[in-house]
Amino acid sequence: MIAWVHERTGLDRVWKALFERHVPEARGPAAWLYTLGSASLFVFLVQALTGALLAMSYAPTPDHAYDSVRYITGQVALGGFIRGLHHWGASFMVVLAVLHMLRVYFMGAYKYPREITWMTGVCLLLLVMGFSFTGDLLPWDQKAYWATAVGTNIAGQTPVIGGVVSRVLKGGSEMGAATLTRFYAFHVLVLPALLAMVVLVHLFLVVWHGISELPERRLQDGDPQGP
Amino acid sequence: MSWYEQYRSRYARLKQAGKPFFPYAVFKDMVVVSLILAALCWLAYFAGAGLEDLADPTDSTYNPRPEWYFLFLFQALKFFPGRLEPVAAVVVPGVSVLLLLLVPLLDRGPLRHPLDRPFWTGLGLASLAAFGHLTWSGYHSPLINPTVEKDPLISRGIRLYREMRCAYCHKINKKGGNIGPELDRSAGSGSEEWLAKHLRDPQSVTPNSAMPKLNLLDDEIQALVAYMKSLGEPFTAEAPKLFTQNCASCHRIGETGGEAGHDLSLIGSARDKAFIKRYIGDPSKTNPDSSMPGFKGQLTEVQIEDLSRYLAGLGR
Repeated sequence: MIAWVHERTGLDRVWKALFERHVPEARGPAAWLYTLGSASLFVFLVQALTGALLAMSYAPTPDHAYDSVRYITGQVALGGFIRGLHHWGASFMVVLAVLHMLRVYFMGAYKYPREITWMTGVCLLLLVMGFSFTGDLLPWDQKAYWATAVGTNIAGQTPVIGGVVSRVLKGGSEMGAATLTRFYAFHVLVLPALLAMVVLVHLFLVVWHGISELPERRLQDGDPQGP
Repeated sequence: MSWYEQYRSRYARLKQAGKPFFPYAVFKDMVVVSLILAALCWLAYFAGAGLEDLADPTDSTYNPRPEWYFLFLFQALKFFPGRLEPVAAVVVPGVSVLLLLLVPLLDRGPLRHPLDRPFWTGLGLASLAAFGHLTWSGYHSPLINPTVEKDPLISRGIRLYREMRCAYCHKINKKGGNIGPELDRSAGSGSEEWLAKHLRDPQSVTPNSAMPKLNLLDDEIQALVAYMKSLGEPFTAEAPKLFTQNCASCHRIGETGGEAGHDLSLIGSARDKAFIKRYIGDPSKTNPDSSMPGFKGQLTEVQIEDLSRYLAGLGR
């Protein structure tokens, strides 16, 4: 039975390529720094799951957004807890992604042959920022409204194209219903699709090149990386 | 290009000598993921996600605060005032992101240990320090508008006022319909008992009132009364004249008045009547640096009270 599935899906080979691949041994506490990427991926999955649950009871219009969030927090079973997970997950996401990036940066792990892996990683960080910016507005409370007002004003200051950018973000010259639906569409449709694609490329490259080894000091005789 | 090949063969050897991803790396991942999940659940359960009052686009006194990880950007804006603001808002972040993206093309060569790359390690540490410093000072920077502690009962009253569309008939701050009285001019003069009775059954205290019976709950009436009482107390027609005679040489309200003192057009949204009254009487007691003279003695107690009521209603 299992062999029958394997023959038709190649799952056994996928498992071999993903999980039985060898990883250079990193000794000491520094080895734990290599978990930050997986941790970011995990928090992303938490965000996707809690986000989908929240979307089931959320109404993206100025008339109902605030009340639906109050409803989620007070009425829906475990609603407050799920909203708390999504809220704190956003902060965790930023922190873990940045820590992961710092690990790669200070270890010089972006060097040959992993340059493009790094670039996709920077794109992922920008997407995470986009998630945070668009998600902030959704509760439609005072904090949400005014933080977004300032954010869109900042975007509006871009030389030459600022006016257009600000209007595209707000869906008009003033913040209102169009802004909320637009941010919601970005938050639950556009950004997740982009993020999923870039994550797949990023993961593929990580597996393709192999996880980088711990960097070593240059040896005295000039040999760059030792024997 | 020889070090590319050298690296590849060296990496292949290290990889071969290494351990399989599962279970060795997966185990570490699971440990960290479990800790993170525990921390997340703890925060979600005990701290939760806040929810402030409903967004109010007309509230010009709100202090916008971004999420903490955007604070550094807010703070950086303060170093580039006026026409230079686009530099901090767009140019600096844009260039930084581009630089970040291109790091692998700028820092090439085989050396990877941080101590073998002093320039890049230094740049990274300096950026981290700048980010930390900006976030820290942004967190501790004074708010642009003084915070007003709003009584939750009053907030509830505001929400009810909006939900029940009271503004269809009533005006507050010159906005709303003409059928009922202007509430910020009249409601403050009624006692709490009178207001509560009126809200419960308008005709019982005002026989000819056109206001419908709203079948409100007790706590809703309480909230609405609190809101009405917060609208301020009535002042006489003397008050604006007192302002023109005594204050307008330094302070402005709207388009008219002096420049030496603060603009008081919205003072009521930041200060209550008691504060304003204290301040007019003797500014140096509240603010030792103030150059404003005290008006105790110059104006009567009744006049100062009248003036304070007038000012406390501005911008509400």
